[in-house]
Amino acid sequence: MSLVGKLKYQFMKDIGAPALMSLKDLKQHRKRPVSPAFGPPLKTNKRLKEILSRHYFLARYVPGAKQVAWVTSGAPVELLRAFDFYTIYPENHSALVGAKKQGADYCTIAENDGFSQDLCSYARIDLGHMLSGKTPAGKLPKPDLLFCSNNICQTVLYWYKAIAHELDIPLIHFDVPFVAVEQSEADVRYLAQQLLDMIPILEQFTGKVFDLKQFEIILKRSQESSQTWGKILELMQAKPAPMTIFDAFGHLAPVVSLRGLPVAQDYYDLLLKEVDERVNKGIGAITNERYRLIWDNIAVWYQVRYLATFFAERNMNFVTATYTNAWAETTGYLDIKDPWSSMAKTYGQIILNNNLKHRLGLMRKMIKNFGVDGMVMHSTRSCKPYSVGQFDLRKALSAELKLPAVIIDADIADERVWSQQQIQTRLEAFCETLEDTTLG
Amino acid sequence: MIPNRKKYLKQQAQNGQKIMGVLPALYPRELLWAFDILPAEIWDPPGDILRANAHLQATICPIVKRGLEFILKESASVNAGYLFPHTCDSLQNLATQVKDLIGTSQPVYTFYNPKAQFNKTTRRYYLDLLQDFQTTLETKFGPLNRAKLMAACELGSKIDIRWLTLQNARRADQLELTNPEYFQLVRAGEYLKPEDYLTLLNQVEVQAGPVHQSNRRLLLSGILPPHEETLSFLDELSVTIVADDLLSGSRRFPITQLDTPVDPFEYLTDRHFLLPPCSTRASNLKERIHHLQKMISESQVHGVLFNIIKFCEPELFDHRFLVKTLKQNRVPLLSLETELLPGISGQDRTRIEAFIEMLDEQVSG
Repeated sequence: MSLVGKLKYQFMKDIGAPALMSLKDLKQHRKRPVSPAFGPPLKTNKRLKEILSRHYFLARYVPGAKQVAWVTSGAPVELLRAFDFYTIYPENHSALVGAKKQGADYCTIAENDGFSQDLCSYARIDLGHMLSGKTPAGKLPKPDLLFCSNNICQTVLYWYKAIAHELDIPLIHFDVPFVAVEQSEADVRYLAQQLLDMIPILEQFTGKVFDLKQFEIILKRSQESSQTWGKILELMQAKPAPMTIFDAFGHLAPVVSLRGLPVAQDYYDLLLKEVDERVNKGIGAITNERYRLIWDNIAVWYQVRYLATFFAERNMNFVTATYTNAWAETTGYLDIKDPWSSMAKTYGQIILNNNLKHRLGLMRKMIKNFGVDGMVMHSTRSCKPYSVGQFDLRKALSAELKLPAVIIDADIADERVWSQQQIQTRLEAFCETLEDTTLG
Repeated sequence: MIPNRKKYLKQQAQNGQKIMGVLPALYPRELLWAFDILPAEIWDPPGDILRANAHLQATICPIVKRGLEFILKESASVNAGYLFPHTCDSLQNLATQVKDLIGTSQPVYTFYNPKAQFNKTTRRYYLDLLQDFQTTLETKFGPLNRAKLMAACELGSKIDIRWLTLQNARRADQLELTNPEYFQLVRAGEYLKPEDYLTLLNQVEVQAGPVHQSNRRLLLSGILPPHEETLSFLDELSVTIVADDLLSGSRRFPITQLDTPVDPFEYLTDRHFLLPPCSTRASNLKERIHHLQKMISESQVHGVLFNIIKFCEPELFDHRFLVKTLKQNRVPLLSLETELLPGISGQDRTRIEAFIEMLDEQVSG
């Protein structure tokens, strides 16, 4: 790390980024027409954009000032924060590319270089970025270190292994055994020991000494952010729901990629306040909420707007999702007094690393607590742990709860997979069934 | 003479043999043997996929689909449950899907294979996994007889040693086996009782010198060997597969010969961590490339044939790097993609023929 690099980064953090945000405020954006089916937008949206823009903007000035780690969304990032890494989340970046409907371009770059079209599109987008340097975020810093956990899928491990090989940089892997029945003592011991084993490796890599007190502060912050996020999601039980799950897909970003930093906690405090106010005032995310839905799986990033509008115009609101809940569900296991074992439990039992009996129970609970009338499952070809089992989950929930449900076959970020006519037909049929069931 | 899989298992079941259906790929087989359980591995059972399509998406790999189709048929040959070793995301989910959602008359067991690099922590955990698996099996099949486990490890060790000998003999052209015969022999280990398998391996004659001079030598990489018709077609073209880097083949046998077992669990742990680099264990790519290059060099092959299972993520990620390195090193290669359908397609025939022509030109030129 160089003094010049550090000074430059600090200058941008204190002066450059705030100035840029002010300029963005002045810039008039052409507003896209919004359907009257939506209620007033969340004021916090602006703050979210600021935070994320600032994060990506500062990332350009990080080389030379801080070490950069690319991290998977389910990895225990708190440990890296204790060593002051600047963290980039390729999954988050791929979702951003997908949302801008540029996924296919990036995927094609990776495919032309030999990666199969059958691989996860988040991975292909990231590999496409790595090979070309292209990004809608301006410029992403190259990683000094990779940190990955297979608690969300094995795919991230293969993907990070590929980057580590290509860039010839170290990869730290947190191996998380799948919870086939329940987490065993041996599993917890293994996970905790892996975390402890990482400390000397990180100390050597960064030249910094691990500070347990500082780590505990970070862990507490991380826990608070996740808990606040959980409270926000719980407020969507209100009728009408104060936001849609499509809003939540966006507001999820800080708890995924800025977890453990003060900015994330400040942000969720603000969002909680606003959502709470909306509940108290009876402000709904859609103007006439008649049906309440649950979403299963990751978002279809390039069709968020279309899906949100499609359902809002039919007076249907997604009030809960297994995906957004994932960053709040297991945070209760976290215990600052016993960081290692409690992190093992927190990170080891998240939805995608847990068996389908658990997922079925969780969905049943969500459907009940959120007063859900129908279910939309996104079967995504990119994510096997999320998608394998969905057909039987649907069958079980529909039979038990007499819940109308539909499965749409699409992808998270590769827009070439989207079949507009086929999906629209399926969704329209689902809406008709839902209306008939409710009327009947 | 290799016994037919279906008939053999049916006969064993009729004789009262406990048989466990085991999905791919890595598991402590010796522990099952010690409980008098015969593992019958389920990789690519033949037949149409009908019922499994109602439970799985079109973009799921055919091994997973065929595995589920087999389970849904409730084969009478499987009477001691199903074991799902942790191999990939799809098989991981299939285990819980079968156990928790679809249901089967048989118990479902799982076995995690650590994905972290080998070190003290991983080794300790693997020992714990063995202990937990033993406890699980004991609840159903009674207490483990340690002497039996020791005997199973010794038997396993003899199979490994014999296998290494045969592998080396194949490389040296000392086996009078066609391509289909060789892979039938390899795959017989998926369902034969260990003592029967060892007898079979011991029956294979290793000639003193090369039985033929193969000018078209290939290394086969992937999860499974191609269909028998493809293997026969390679014979027709005088192509010999002299070495393999298959998950169902050499990736399940230790790279080096282990010492005679002293403590069974220590032995099984050593054995697991001495397996060759593999995509499903998330082995380091440098190690995997190095291993493949070493095999190419030692077996003096003229090219590499990749048999890629459609939608197999672990293998597809590695494939790009293996191909790139081999191309840089001017090693001729051909990648075939398979959905595990019977026979050989016209397109594959043409591609193989073209590849062999190119190979000949390189060899002669």
